[in-house]
Amino acid sequence: MLETRTETAPFWESPVPEDEVMAQQVAHYRDEHLLLDPRPPAEINGLMLAAMRRTGPVFWLLVVGLGGMVLALFTTWVIQMVYGIGITGLNRSVMWGPYIVNLVYFIGIGHAGTFISAALRLMRYDFRRPIARAAETVTLFGLAMAALFPLIHVGRIWKIYYMFPIPNQRELWPNFRSALLWDATAITTYMIGSTLFMFVALIPDLAMIRDRTTGLRRKIYGAFALGWRGTEGEWHRLEVVSNILGFVIIPVMFSVHTIVSWDFAMAIQPGWHSTIFGPFFIIGALFSGVAAVILVMVIVRKGMRLGYFLRDEHFSAMGIFLMILAMAWVYFYFAEWITNWYGNLPMEVALQEMLTGPLAPFFYLMLFGNIIVPLGTLWSRRVRTSLPAMFVIALFVQIGMYIERVLIIPGMLSRNELPFNWVNYTPRWPELLITAGTFSFLALLYIIWTRVVPIIPVWEVYEGQALQGRRRVGRAILPTRSDPH
Amino acid sequence: MADTLIFGLFPNVDPTARVVANLQAMGIPDDHVTIMSAVPYSSRLFGRRHPRTRFLPYLALGVLGGLAVALFIAVGTPALYPIKVGAQPVIAPFPPTAIMVFEFVALGTMIMAFVGFLLQSRFPRLSPAIYDERITDGYIGLSVRASDRLADEIIDLYNANGAIDVRRESIALAEPQRFRHLVFWGVLSVLGLGAVLAPLLLTYDIIRIPWINAMYHSPAVGPQEGPRLAAPEAAVPFSGPRLVAGEPATLPLDATENSLQRGGVLYGVYCAICHGYPDGTPGSLRDYFPEVPPINSQRVQSLSHEEIFLTVTNGLNRMPSLAEQLTIGETWDVANYVLSLGEGAAPAGQ
Repeated sequence: MLETRTETAPFWESPVPEDEVMAQQVAHYRDEHLLLDPRPPAEINGLMLAAMRRTGPVFWLLVVGLGGMVLALFTTWVIQMVYGIGITGLNRSVMWGPYIVNLVYFIGIGHAGTFISAALRLMRYDFRRPIARAAETVTLFGLAMAALFPLIHVGRIWKIYYMFPIPNQRELWPNFRSALLWDATAITTYMIGSTLFMFVALIPDLAMIRDRTTGLRRKIYGAFALGWRGTEGEWHRLEVVSNILGFVIIPVMFSVHTIVSWDFAMAIQPGWHSTIFGPFFIIGALFSGVAAVILVMVIVRKGMRLGYFLRDEHFSAMGIFLMILAMAWVYFYFAEWITNWYGNLPMEVALQEMLTGPLAPFFYLMLFGNIIVPLGTLWSRRVRTSLPAMFVIALFVQIGMYIERVLIIPGMLSRNELPFNWVNYTPRWPELLITAGTFSFLALLYIIWTRVVPIIPVWEVYEGQALQGRRRVGRAILPTRSDPH
Repeated sequence: MADTLIFGLFPNVDPTARVVANLQAMGIPDDHVTIMSAVPYSSRLFGRRHPRTRFLPYLALGVLGGLAVALFIAVGTPALYPIKVGAQPVIAPFPPTAIMVFEFVALGTMIMAFVGFLLQSRFPRLSPAIYDERITDGYIGLSVRASDRLADEIIDLYNANGAIDVRRESIALAEPQRFRHLVFWGVLSVLGLGAVLAPLLLTYDIIRIPWINAMYHSPAVGPQEGPRLAAPEAAVPFSGPRLVAGEPATLPLDATENSLQRGGVLYGVYCAICHGYPDGTPGSLRDYFPEVPPINSQRVQSLSHEEIFLTVTNGLNRMPSLAEQLTIGETWDVANYVLSLGEGAAPAGQ
């Protein structure tokens, strides 16, 4: 028999020190840090399930309202199919309008999910733990929305099979010379990878729900949980496969938005044909994506009352992340501009139209939303930990980044080499309805998803809490972190 | 002597680890002990080695598979169905092939990593296995496969370490259901393979289906084909020389003295450098283009006015078009001058 020794309590039982000062310190840590505020898994599971079951009148009102917008989206799409794409404001020479803007925008917000999950996971940043799934969900549905837009944009949807690689019958083999086909391949890869990455991390949580439901739900969750039991081998392989997927999906993520930028940069069009477009698009995508995750975090915390999981420290960390990305975005944006300005190529002077042309108000609004708002506020911890402030800042970044895509796509197309071809594009109701409908679709899918799966990966929270501890040094209690790997 | 399963729930890591240590001391092999938890505790907490994982073969398969698909798409198919576009090579090495290789290798790696995860964990579980729902509430489940002889001793060990709900279970719950798994994955593979192969059989014409394609049946005239159609009555009236093969040219200039003189000057500027001078001196580019006929050769002189006009305007073989250098009138002047050099040519002005 093994010799008896001091029993260690479970990680969720942390005794309060007798010293009053130290007890205060411990209470402070519990307030501030999710991982230093462990509770029994049964209680955390209960919290999560209660949040998922909470479908109040606001929830149903949202479902109905957003569902109506989604209906408007598909109705408009059908009308556009019947009457042709001429009912939109798209015409020579602005053939790529809001549909392509939305495509780029939704792929852009899809970036943050993977980045936060995979990169921060590999670097072992603990603040990602409760955020990871909310971010991955943004990726999943963002990409799903993005995938709608090539279909909407082509107009004659029933000819879409012309794009498929069927070489023989029509003697039209799409020979992968076009950036658009690289794009489709990259996005498909990224979508499949993101889905796998998300699903793998979801299995233990699905098993948790399976154990707490009955009847048909139990069967469905059980089928998706694949028979998870939480054995050592399963956990170990889960970690290995998550790391493999993480390592692979990060370069794929970089490739996706680089190739999206090539949709533009490979064309000899003033304002597009730029070697910096790849990294510039990646930074822009991460920037808008992190802002989207902050928006979602605010809504999820307020709407689902998940204050236990999503704390000030997480908003603060995401705020710093957003600020750094804002700096990087400014750098890329002006690096692109200043060389063009200095070179003074007549073609590229189209860029300068932004300063004084009809799009100038949008240009300045973009600079305000993307630079002044984040950089002027996020340095302050008080701002970063205030939910309304973070919501407004993230919303400004969203607006700014959406306008950035508008300026790049219809904006640049409206000022091309041939002045007779200059137009000022104005959207008509189909584009506006379809755009609004897609945002609603994303929101609808998201709120339904939060009621179907735990939006917080609870097992990652347990893991983090099990690895955290505290020790006394002198009269202070310091948090410690262990890593058994 | 039959084996049995002993299952119990422990509230914490420490007692579990103690029981595991005792089981090791009793000589029970590690792979007969299964620990289940809702928290990813490291095996080291239980004094055990990390479970073995074997992802490398799956990843290698994924990389090779992705590479094969990418090369098939980017190299194989263009070679099978070449489409020549401008001066581009049929198989383009850098952007398309490299991008396809990158994306498909990444995709193959990710899919095979996932498949490896499923297969090694024997997911999806198709038959009941030993489990307790309280595990996801934080309890640690410990199941031991032991002979009946040791069972009572192990149950005592469990109880002594504070286990709750200790029970003996049938050994069937620990048997890996290899056969069911084989059937499941076999059926899945066959279906998947069929889903991939069926469209490929159609795509590569191994199964031929006569698709209706109106593009084959519509009347079409290529840009250089067919008779040139006369302009319709309502067309905008046409002025200037009209040159239709087989019909006399319209509006040639008469070979007046002025015309011949202008033609001579222009000939000296634009033509003589290749075609030579009237006195027989070869042009300075003669050595580079030996096939160019001298101006008073039979080959040139046997042409009609209109043919010379067309040749100068449109170019011929390696001779460039001079349409941008000469106006229509000047071209007729040159044609007059050229024909005036031949033997038996009409004297100027007549």
